[in-house]
Amino acid sequence: MKTLKYILLTTIAVFTLASCDQYLDQDPYQEILEERALNSDRGVKMVLLGAYSTMNDQNFYGGLVQTMSELLAGDGEIQFVGTYNGLRQIFAKSTLISSNENARATWLKAYELINICNNVLSAVDIVLPADRGRVEGEARFLRAAAYFELIRLYGNRPYIAGNTSNNEPEWGVPLVLTPTRIISDANKVPRATIQEVYDQIIVDLKEAAAKLPSTNGYFATKGAAQAMLARVYLQMQDYPNARDYADTVIQSNKYSLVPVYANVFNQNEKTTEDIFVNKFTTQTRFSAMTEYWSIPDYGGRDGDIDILNGHLNLYPAGDARRALFFHDNIAWRSGKWNNQYGTVVTIRLAEMYLIRAECNQRLGTSVGDTPLNDINRLCARAGLGDTFYATITLDDILLQRRLELAHEGHKLHDIKRLQLPVGPRPYDHPKLTLPIPEREIQAYLPVILKQNDGY
Amino acid sequence: MSGRLNLDSKAREWLDLGLNFSTSVTDLKQINADNAFANPLQLVALAPITPVRDTNGILYDRPTTTYYNTLRHVEYSHRKMNEYRNIANGYMNIKLYEGLQWRNELGYDLYTLKENQKLGELTNDGQNGGFGMSNYGQTQNFVTKSLLNYNGKFNEISIAAVAGTELQYVTIDRTWVTGERFPMDAFITLNSAGSITEGKQTVEKYAMLSYIGRVNADYQEKLLLSISGRIDGSSRFGKNNRYGFFPAASLGYVLTKEEGLKDNPVISFLKPRVSYGKTGNAEIGNYEHLGTFGVATYNNNAGLIPYNISNPDLSWETTDQINAGLDYGFLNNRINGEIDYYVKKTKDLLWRVPVPGVSGHSTMMKNVASVENKGFEFIINTINLTGLIKWNTTINFSYNKNKVTDLAGAEIYDPGSSRFMNVFMVGQPMGVFYGAEFAGVDPTNGDALWYVNGPNGVDSLGNRLTTNQFDQANFVVLGSPMPDKIFSITNSFEFTINGTTIDFSFMFQGVHGNKIHLAGDSYMAASGEWFDNQLRSQLDSWRPDNPNTNVPQARLFYANGTEGRNSRYLEDGSYIKLRNVTFGITLPKSLLSQAKIDRMRLFVTGQNLLTFTKYTGWDPEVSSDFVVSNLRSGVEFYSAPQPRTVIFGINLSF
Repeated sequence: MKTLKYILLTTIAVFTLASCDQYLDQDPYQEILEERALNSDRGVKMVLLGAYSTMNDQNFYGGLVQTMSELLAGDGEIQFVGTYNGLRQIFAKSTLISSNENARATWLKAYELINICNNVLSAVDIVLPADRGRVEGEARFLRAAAYFELIRLYGNRPYIAGNTSNNEPEWGVPLVLTPTRIISDANKVPRATIQEVYDQIIVDLKEAAAKLPSTNGYFATKGAAQAMLARVYLQMQDYPNARDYADTVIQSNKYSLVPVYANVFNQNEKTTEDIFVNKFTTQTRFSAMTEYWSIPDYGGRDGDIDILNGHLNLYPAGDARRALFFHDNIAWRSGKWNNQYGTVVTIRLAEMYLIRAECNQRLGTSVGDTPLNDINRLCARAGLGDTFYATITLDDILLQRRLELAHEGHKLHDIKRLQLPVGPRPYDHPKLTLPIPEREIQAYLPVILKQNDGY
Repeated sequence: MSGRLNLDSKAREWLDLGLNFSTSVTDLKQINADNAFANPLQLVALAPITPVRDTNGILYDRPTTTYYNTLRHVEYSHRKMNEYRNIANGYMNIKLYEGLQWRNELGYDLYTLKENQKLGELTNDGQNGGFGMSNYGQTQNFVTKSLLNYNGKFNEISIAAVAGTELQYVTIDRTWVTGERFPMDAFITLNSAGSITEGKQTVEKYAMLSYIGRVNADYQEKLLLSISGRIDGSSRFGKNNRYGFFPAASLGYVLTKEEGLKDNPVISFLKPRVSYGKTGNAEIGNYEHLGTFGVATYNNNAGLIPYNISNPDLSWETTDQINAGLDYGFLNNRINGEIDYYVKKTKDLLWRVPVPGVSGHSTMMKNVASVENKGFEFIINTINLTGLIKWNTTINFSYNKNKVTDLAGAEIYDPGSSRFMNVFMVGQPMGVFYGAEFAGVDPTNGDALWYVNGPNGVDSLGNRLTTNQFDQANFVVLGSPMPDKIFSITNSFEFTINGTTIDFSFMFQGVHGNKIHLAGDSYMAASGEWFDNQLRSQLDSWRPDNPNTNVPQARLFYANGTEGRNSRYLEDGSYIKLRNVTFGITLPKSLLSQAKIDRMRLFVTGQNLLTFTKYTGWDPEVSSDFVVSNLRSGVEFYSAPQPRTVIFGINLSF
């Protein structure tokens, strides 16, 4: 009896006093400790892939960046009629305030992308030598893309070549070039000047163009970096550089225009014309361009954006680009975004022809081809016949740019570099720029983060 | 449906063994969350003239209906949700010495949730050939306790003491699959999905290790003292800071046991008491102290992205509470109750603090912020009648003042929503409403007006300035989502005649002091901005022949006074509800004894029968499910009101 008692007592005592506190060391299953993410070649490449996923997010290239550009500059051509408060404010502009949720979402997502690229670049020496250049090139390309969208949407003024506003302190966006490991006051980086941000973008893209391969599946390529450089130089009104980079991309013969205009869009895979696209799959997410611009039949919301006659009347008769718009018994809609899991184009070849033509026209040169030929090439593809224009003016080129690239996210940026008004507002009106998100101003306190003039 | 089995055995004179099993199966019927177009309350947005079905008997959808027709979710979908709960507990109690026992317990709690849903092709989410979802979740909760119990008496002092340890270890598994493109609506299992669109599996674990000790002592059953302490360690905190120490002490003095009051005819029970306690909170995610990278996919490949910023100092949120109270009884406890006053200070609140977004992270889990709750509670029970008709009353009243006392140095935390106006502000209750103050309607043109408020809110004569531009109006505190007064009154009657007992009771319950934000009114009282069906109040909108009104002029697709963060959509949320009415009949024993039944009572209970309130929404007690949190409470957004229930039942004992 007593033996049983003592055996029982000892057994329980042993179990109770045995070290239970090892149970308190729990590691997650769905995440990995940060030390283990970047200490191998494979890890760094996985983080690079994560950067693409972030770039693809609906709040960045997945649709919001393009849509905000079109809505801010859309007066008279489109109208936002959906229930999303944030986008309503952006379209109305008069009610756009610093607490706007879309301005906040894109700011945060762009800096998430920048942090991931910084993480990759800080560990690029761990990558196998054969892949090191490519990995570095891809990270720089994505980081440049993030800063380019940030400076164009949140810069306190548009970039105007030669203007002192480019060097005005704190009118750009904060430049962060190292990864974040801990949160401290060192994270409260002040806004750089607009010129400094553009300089960093150029540096990153040139490095990327030098190191990227010519083909790389759906990831960044040499052509993509060069095409992005053409776009950036155009925005900076540096026409010679823009023309030359556009020409390099065209002359590489890696890309060709899709013969039928409608087949440029709503594809499941990238086309011959695509220089850089966003790939969506059912396993990742659906395209926000479909959500905002399309109708429920195609997986869109409720037909949130109406296309007005102010835009539709710009097209000449028989234009295949006009035929891509459709009417759903309520209003006209853009037909470019009807594939919920289809690709969303970032850069395509047609834009390179437009840049080359515009720059040649402005400079009186014919590098690669004459502006007349370049524009007629695009009009021919749009079903308007081989020689739609007999002679060409700058205004013709700018009109064709507006028609060819309609609703792909260029409108606001073209308005700003061409110094055109949007309705009653001039190109540099404070409300044509997004506010620095209120949450950011709050998070920086007591350090003062300068807010844009309109807010 | 549930069942229970208890087995207790005295294996030896010094050894008690026991095993408890319980198991239950629950069938759940759920409606969609408030923020979905498939929420049934969303039907109010459709114009009343909308036809329901077409000539083929199919329910209409957009564009005939302005929004998705929720009835399609009812007719063209299947949803089955079951919960299974199995709890097994074993214990072993060993008598060591006189008064000293050692109790060991082992418990295993298995909770399983099974959810299968199929939406047909005619539903809004099922347009890709139908949508199927299968969700399987399991939580295993394993607890082991080892406690020493001591009971003893020395002279006039009784002592009861406990000391021991406890370990809790929880594993949560979840598997989830969705699919589209079914051959026909009739196929409801995911086996038939042409395309599996999402498949996920997750595992999470956490543990808590505790050491506890408690001593209760009383002197002549007159002076009562309790002292306790516990040390708890949680796996959710950083290695430096896992353990928290939580002491408590209380002292009570039964005055009516003293010579002076012992035989007092009026005061039958009087016990002043005072207590102090410290408690801890660890209700956060399981891995928030670790710096981690998570998974993000692109083009059907998986990559890594930074997920959580590390915080090795993450630790317990603690609350210190001091309580002073009085238990009282008069006239042989015919009137009895309690009065309590308390102060609770919570510090090191566990909260996702916003950090500069340029870091690539937007929040960090930290111990910051402090909150204070102060208040008093008052309970009185009275036995009014004891004769043929028995009548008891219980009245309950409590007052609580909640206040944020520190926000890591900031004055305010405002997440910046344009739709919801709850914020944390130092000196205000948690989730206080902060927005523009509506100033009525300009009688000359029907514009909605706002008070400018702020430093330039008054003119030189002291008159309040107004503006018709919403972003010119400074935000002010508009009210609190938390009631400061909560009360109830219950009356119960019993009446026995010829062996039959009739019992009847009713309870009124209410709150006061809170406001409710009718966030849905941005769409339902929208002054022409939206195409939704509107509330009747809109008929009083400004028109040239109706210039004196508080309803702004209706302007098609234009926001005239319909911004989300304004006092126009805030209403007083106070209410009194007839919460419960019960009527029962207990049959006489004489009738039952023939059937060998000890007791049989038939009853009917009604719940939520009546509501008295000035609130114009559907139910002042409801908070919208997709927003409710520490921050956002008191928000209504197409939230389904609580149902009135009537329950019929029989109590039987043999």
